[in-house]
Amino acid sequence: MLRKLFFTLAVATSVLALNGAAWADITILVPSGSEGDGLRAAAADYAKLKGTKVEAVQAPYANVFEQGANAGSTKSGVFDIILMDDPWIPFFAENGHLEDLTPFFKSAGMEGPDSDFLSKSLAICRNPYNAGPYVCLPYVGNAQMFFYDAAKFKEAGVDVPKTWDDVLKAGKTLTDGGGGRYFGYVFRGGQGNPVVADFMPIFWSYGADMFNADRTKVTIDTPEGAAAMKTFMALRDISPKGVESYNANEVGTALAAGTAASSINWPNWVATFEDPSQSKMVGKISYSPIPAGTKPGSSEIGHWTMGIMSASKNKQEAFDFMVWATSPEQIKISAERGNPPVRASVFTDPELTKQEKFRHYPVLMEAIQASTPRPRHPKWPEIENAFGIELSKAVAGTVTPEEALKNAQDAVSRITNIY
Amino acid sequence: MVGSASGMSTAQLRPGGGLERWAERHLRVLMLAPTVIILLGLTIFPSIYMFYAAVHKISPNPDVPWDFVGPGNFVRLLSDQQFHVALLNTTVFTVLAVTVEFLLGLGLALLLDKYIRRLTFLKTMLMIPMMLPPIAVAITWKLIYEPQFGVLNEIMYRLGLPLQAWAGDVDLAMFSIIVADVWQWTPFIFLLMLAGLASLPVEPYEAAALDGASSWRQFWDLTLPFLKPVIAIALLLRVMDALRLFDLVFILTGGGPADRTKVLSLYIYQVAYRFADPGYAAAISLFVLFVTIILSTWFMNRMRLAD
Repeated sequence: MLRKLFFTLAVATSVLALNGAAWADITILVPSGSEGDGLRAAAADYAKLKGTKVEAVQAPYANVFEQGANAGSTKSGVFDIILMDDPWIPFFAENGHLEDLTPFFKSAGMEGPDSDFLSKSLAICRNPYNAGPYVCLPYVGNAQMFFYDAAKFKEAGVDVPKTWDDVLKAGKTLTDGGGGRYFGYVFRGGQGNPVVADFMPIFWSYGADMFNADRTKVTIDTPEGAAAMKTFMALRDISPKGVESYNANEVGTALAAGTAASSINWPNWVATFEDPSQSKMVGKISYSPIPAGTKPGSSEIGHWTMGIMSASKNKQEAFDFMVWATSPEQIKISAERGNPPVRASVFTDPELTKQEKFRHYPVLMEAIQASTPRPRHPKWPEIENAFGIELSKAVAGTVTPEEALKNAQDAVSRITNIY
Repeated sequence: MVGSASGMSTAQLRPGGGLERWAERHLRVLMLAPTVIILLGLTIFPSIYMFYAAVHKISPNPDVPWDFVGPGNFVRLLSDQQFHVALLNTTVFTVLAVTVEFLLGLGLALLLDKYIRRLTFLKTMLMIPMMLPPIAVAITWKLIYEPQFGVLNEIMYRLGLPLQAWAGDVDLAMFSIIVADVWQWTPFIFLLMLAGLASLPVEPYEAAALDGASSWRQFWDLTLPFLKPVIAIALLLRVMDALRLFDLVFILTGGGPADRTKVLSLYIYQVAYRFADPGYAAAISLFVLFVTIILSTWFMNRMRLAD
């Protein structure tokens, strides 16, 4: 009898282990951090409300891409929904990992996502960008803003930094007076995604771009690119030593601890800066659009978007969940949980905007609408890596800014086969 | 006849019947079977699969068939600058880290074995870094090296020395990784050397002492030759492990700044998972495997010849 019981238990345990999250009706792959936490909380609410079992599998940022790509290329169907960083969309869509949402909208009697979503938020969910069918729905409305300590900037003679020259002027004064312990600017200089993410807005604000409009030419090594690089190097010179290895945490810590006066940053850091248990700068940090160079400043958009994996066996259930999770009511709840919204009605909701912790919403909404997506290319991770190496070399001073631009131009041409 | 899945009759399955005799006849095969199955599943099959992948261009799109490229992925290694950088960095790291670990490990073992034999507590303390998960070691050193809030720069500041960007400076990043690795793996060499020293015969030393040989002479002519097999194993294991370095670099520098700490394992990971090019990643992995086998064989042969 005991042997039989043991055998049954062993079989049951093995089956459970092999099936992983097979008990769930929908399985979602989400990143660690506030975005993933928010969607996981929403999934729990959905399970209670609809009786659908939703399993949220959380992984660090880079692993979400890897696990999604693995699931897609093996057609494993282990994940029904993936919460993606928007530059990954071309890779997933063009390699057949994402489901076209058009038939689902049609069968639900909808034309597509409603017009309350911000237009820039919707544009990234179409592949090709702003033209093809919808392959995802926007969930977290990230776009970079300029964060600065207004009092310190004022002391340094700049009321509101509208241009990069303003930032440099105030930043230099603050760094020079900081005695090596306080800095006017800080940025993510870590090789790869971090340094690229913090360079692109400066690149765009000088009229530069990675490709020309019809994608027939790589345009990194141009006079506009050189002007952007010159500003970037000047900003490096007023940043803390070691910025070459900084990622989001180091930049966030420097601002929250009050050892740096300004940076480009993502809105999900606002909650940290306004939390007295994590920040010395509560109520002291101001938020503004990305400063202008020779052209108006433009934020890098970095939305988190939900797409249905092509190999999913629960596509309709996944679509129903996505529509529910991106409804105005749920996006408002998500905003209250610390994730920036993607809907105009939530950005302008008086219940939220009257609260101090949402005082950045008008600026963020403006930033999203003036944002630029990272170049839409299925090989973006490889392009970003190559560009990131050259930028890292320039920041570290092992090559001149001119050499970095030329090398990056060559590397990106080689990867994309565009000469 | 009531048959079972294996085609044996009920009579055969009865205890003391045919099954017992059959099992006895095939006992050797039965005992070896689990090991062979595990070996096939976990080593042989993945190795063959890796060879197969290395000669194909594999698209991340599951509907695109694998494209046979023959030696194409291996030829690509010749012109891939990132691979060359990773290879150079891996070589620099392996040579420097293993040399320092060996010298420190041997020195500590000689010191503790000869002079402070009874301090078992100290020996245990010295071994703690080796027992820690590599990821915990990497995060600890990341906090130590943190330029603004790290303890190392705090000490520098209090001593009036210039602050350093330990993991962020092109000239210091590799050094910082080596220091963290030395901290973790010197105890491994120390442990092996200590075991080696404990097993040395006493008589040759007594004879040498009677002949008036100095301590240095005894170390050079007796201890080192006696320890040679242990040294060979320790160095071999450390070299093989150093060639696979990943965790420290991934956490501390991500391969930067300016590619100064990009090592082969990190590059293989990037190629396979970030650039979604598993065929090329398999080719680089095979290259590393090939180098490891050549190095190990050469090393073992030299040690045997020397004996």
